[in-house]
Amino acid sequence: MPKRDAKLLAGTLDMLILKALSLGPLHGFGVGQRIMQMSADALRVEEGSLYPALYRIEQQGWITSEWGVSDNNQRAKFYSLTRAGRRQLQVEEENWVRLAEAVFKVMQTN
Amino acid sequence: MYWLRLLRARLRGLLRRRSVEREMEEELRFHLRMRAQENVRGGMAPDEAERAALRSFGQWPRIKEACRDVKGGGGVETLLQDMRFGARTLAKNPGFTLVVTLTLALGIGANTAIFSFVNAVLLRSVPVAEPERLVYVFGGTRTSPYSVSSYPDYLDYRARNDVFSDLIAYSPITLSLNSGEQVDTVTGLIVTGNYFDVLGVRPRVGRAFLPEEDTTPGGHPVAVVSHGLWQSRFGADPGVVGRKLLLNGQQFTVVGVAPADFNGADTGRTSDIYVPMAMQALVRPPRGGYSGEMNPDLLSKRGPRWLDIVGRLKPGVTEEQAQAAMSTLAAQLSQSYPDTNREQTATVSPLAKGDPEQRGRLVSVAGLLLAVVGLVLLIACANVANLLLARAASRRKEISIRLALGASRGRLVRQLLTESLLLSLLGGALGLLLGVWLVKTMRTYSAPANFFPVAFDFSLDGNVLGFTLLLSVLTGLLFGIAPALQASKPDLVVALKDETALVPGASGRGGRRFTLRDLLVVAQVALSLVLLISAGLFLRSLRKAQGIDPGFDPSRVVTMPLNINLLRYTKTQGQDFYRQVLERVTALPGVQSATLTRTPPLSGASRQSTVVIAGREAPESGSNTENSGGAGGESVPSNITLASSVGQDYFETLNIPLLRGRDFNAQDREGAPGVAIVNETFARRYFPGEDPIGMRVSLAGAQGPWLEVVGLARDGKYVTLGEVPAPFLYQPLAQRHESGMVLMLRTSGDPSGLVPAVRREVHSIEPNLPLTNARLMEELLSTSLYPARMGAVLIGVFGLLALVLASVGLYGVMSYSVSRRTREIGIRMALGARGGDVLRLVLRQSMTLVAFGVALGLGAAFAATRLLAGFLYGVSPTDPAAFIGIAALLSIVSLAASLVPARRAATVDPLVAFRYE
Repeated sequence: MPKRDAKLLAGTLDMLILKALSLGPLHGFGVGQRIMQMSADALRVEEGSLYPALYRIEQQGWITSEWGVSDNNQRAKFYSLTRAGRRQLQVEEENWVRLAEAVFKVMQTN
Repeated sequence: MYWLRLLRARLRGLLRRRSVEREMEEELRFHLRMRAQENVRGGMAPDEAERAALRSFGQWPRIKEACRDVKGGGGVETLLQDMRFGARTLAKNPGFTLVVTLTLALGIGANTAIFSFVNAVLLRSVPVAEPERLVYVFGGTRTSPYSVSSYPDYLDYRARNDVFSDLIAYSPITLSLNSGEQVDTVTGLIVTGNYFDVLGVRPRVGRAFLPEEDTTPGGHPVAVVSHGLWQSRFGADPGVVGRKLLLNGQQFTVVGVAPADFNGADTGRTSDIYVPMAMQALVRPPRGGYSGEMNPDLLSKRGPRWLDIVGRLKPGVTEEQAQAAMSTLAAQLSQSYPDTNREQTATVSPLAKGDPEQRGRLVSVAGLLLAVVGLVLLIACANVANLLLARAASRRKEISIRLALGASRGRLVRQLLTESLLLSLLGGALGLLLGVWLVKTMRTYSAPANFFPVAFDFSLDGNVLGFTLLLSVLTGLLFGIAPALQASKPDLVVALKDETALVPGASGRGGRRFTLRDLLVVAQVALSLVLLISAGLFLRSLRKAQGIDPGFDPSRVVTMPLNINLLRYTKTQGQDFYRQVLERVTALPGVQSATLTRTPPLSGASRQSTVVIAGREAPESGSNTENSGGAGGESVPSNITLASSVGQDYFETLNIPLLRGRDFNAQDREGAPGVAIVNETFARRYFPGEDPIGMRVSLAGAQGPWLEVVGLARDGKYVTLGEVPAPFLYQPLAQRHESGMVLMLRTSGDPSGLVPAVRREVHSIEPNLPLTNARLMEELLSTSLYPARMGAVLIGVFGLLALVLASVGLYGVMSYSVSRRTREIGIRMALGARGGDVLRLVLRQSMTLVAFGVALGLGAAFAATRLLAGFLYGVSPTDPAAFIGIAALLSIVSLAASLVPARRAATVDPLVAFRYE
């Protein structure tokens, strides 16, 4: 996998994960599913990116994890947003919107 | 806050590695199950669904690795993991590990040994309180500032300065020690009463001197003994205080024992016994020539300078301030006492720096040795780097797979470097042992007994351990970094497909460039050439020195110092003693002839006297200086001659030819007209074009007594072998008596077998005389050659080591290259190339490397060996013979080293070669 894309994805993926968790605790699989749902099946998050990202974000202190029981009665690790994570999400959302607007403007220019 | 959390998480990760790992596993497994369920819901058969899930999870190991990188204990955790992995890898290749460890151990061990020497001589500080506040105050003149001072000067310094909290003065002295059972010569130190207090040294047993013990001359015969002497002579008896000793025949009472690590304020000088300054007249042997008369009281005379002075700076006073104050004081003293103190200076210098002149010499020797072992280590590093590169090539597949599995390049480099560090630490540990052993060996058998007049503590300490550790780590990084970077280059596809394509330099295509491995070999050849040329120069210098004619015949001659000045003989007693000794010894069977001299040739000591020629202008009032410590080599000032009193038969005993005139005889006794024999240089210098016989000279100023030259002796070497010809004047002992004479005898058989008999005869005349230093004249000669020989041996050994390492390196590179080129060679042979062609092909490749190395090495040696000029005798540092000879030698050895792989290449069977790939 070319490195450049991975890097671009990393920041965005973190934001998407935070966003997904902002609606309530989820296990890793659920996070992937929810991002897919929210993007109307446009974004599929690879496991190879998802779990390292989850661990990284947890390390940053933006999410915490605890073991619980899934819908189908299996032991699963649930992630939830911390207060710091909520703040971070806000920051990233603003940055993202600014960036998207800027990119949009550039692309609109004839 | 964030960092704290991070730290906690990492720590948890480290401590609960197992459970974290299990959690990760469980989480991923859950994910897998969920994915499979999802697939089933999408309409797949259950087993199909599971397979698909697994497929999508094909990168599982990589995910885990990535997660671990984030999650695990970070630095520490990966380090431990890398070390485990590295240790496993090394254990799997014991041959490789052994070769590398040994190579590094040799390199690091050599450095440890030399550094121990540097540490002992230059870095260690003496165990005193606050050594940084202690400074020497050297007396001297502008041209020779680092000398000694007189006692009245010391008193003035002490009374009239405001920069030192106190000053001490001391002077070494040789003592005969009689503690009841046996008589020995020991090294003593005459010290001021405040010596121990100012240094801040607390006696181990008993007490230091009291202030009043250094006030009345001769009033308090007390002594402090060293810890070593306390153990060897008093069996570490705690009740030693109060014991009586005879020092130079005077009774002293022991009051204390110095601490174990304390040997006096000077690095490198050890003292066994300390006596107060006020006792100096009683223990100090009478000056030569006027034996038995009471020593002129040195304590009241400003003229004789004999004391080292050390001061403790007041808190806050800098060395510069102290120097300014002492310069002013010295100037005042030279005004008040122009007779004795004209142009006398006082020079302040840190105690830790030792004697600045001696230090300068030691620093240059240390620098040379460190440079040499540094080169050896560099060569060893190049060798190991080469081995690692070769191994990296064979580990190519393993590394590619790890890269493919998602290990980052940085991670791999770290892993490979950890392996290098493991190797270098292993090598360092072994090297430390080797170094300690080397130091021990060098000490026990290398130096002649009295070559180093000083003792150093070579034991292992924190400095040496730290140095070796640091060196090992640096070494590991040095030889590890390039191979690690090269090995982890992520050109996976090529690597997985075909290894050979990765070694472009070895494949012999047109426009071939040097690979890193080739460059390392070139560097090795160049470095070892520099070392070998240096060794060659030292060897030639040694040969030259061995060829020097000492001017006398040293074979079967024994010397034995008769230190009767330790016995307080009167002059008559002394003369009587010497006469008896000669009579008895000459009567011994096996003794051809016997004589006495003040300074045996090449003993490193000489007496220098000012010469006045009758009828010519007298330059200055005559003066004598005893010089023990080898002022050799430098030419003697024009009005100074070396001189010695000798007994009868001196020239016969040493086989020194008399060219003209006569030998001394029995008529040249006390009261008879004074006579002298001079050497050729003396005659040439003072009587050019004239017959020296019958000329009259004086060594005691224009007032005489005058000596008539009666004989001309052939030139010889007097102080050191390397000296330039010096004028020498012999006087008959009977006419100029001296007390510390050395007995010399020529024997007809084995000289050492005669020593016990001689000792018996002397002891039957004077049982209290210590007779410990009997030496063969040939030993003295080899002592004189010691620096040249030591240089040749040390640098020669290191040079050979370098040669072996470089040859192994070349052999390795060529073997590797041949094995890489097997297919190419096979094709060539299939197309009709003969064995000889292939042999030439391979040899040409290796000799190209060698030629580059030799060219580089010759240039580097040309620049570097100039630094050796001061160490060489009779050889130019750019001696063509050494340069050409060594370059040829190195080329031949290199050729031999590449011959084996070349022959292997020449016997390649084309069929096998094709199948081989």
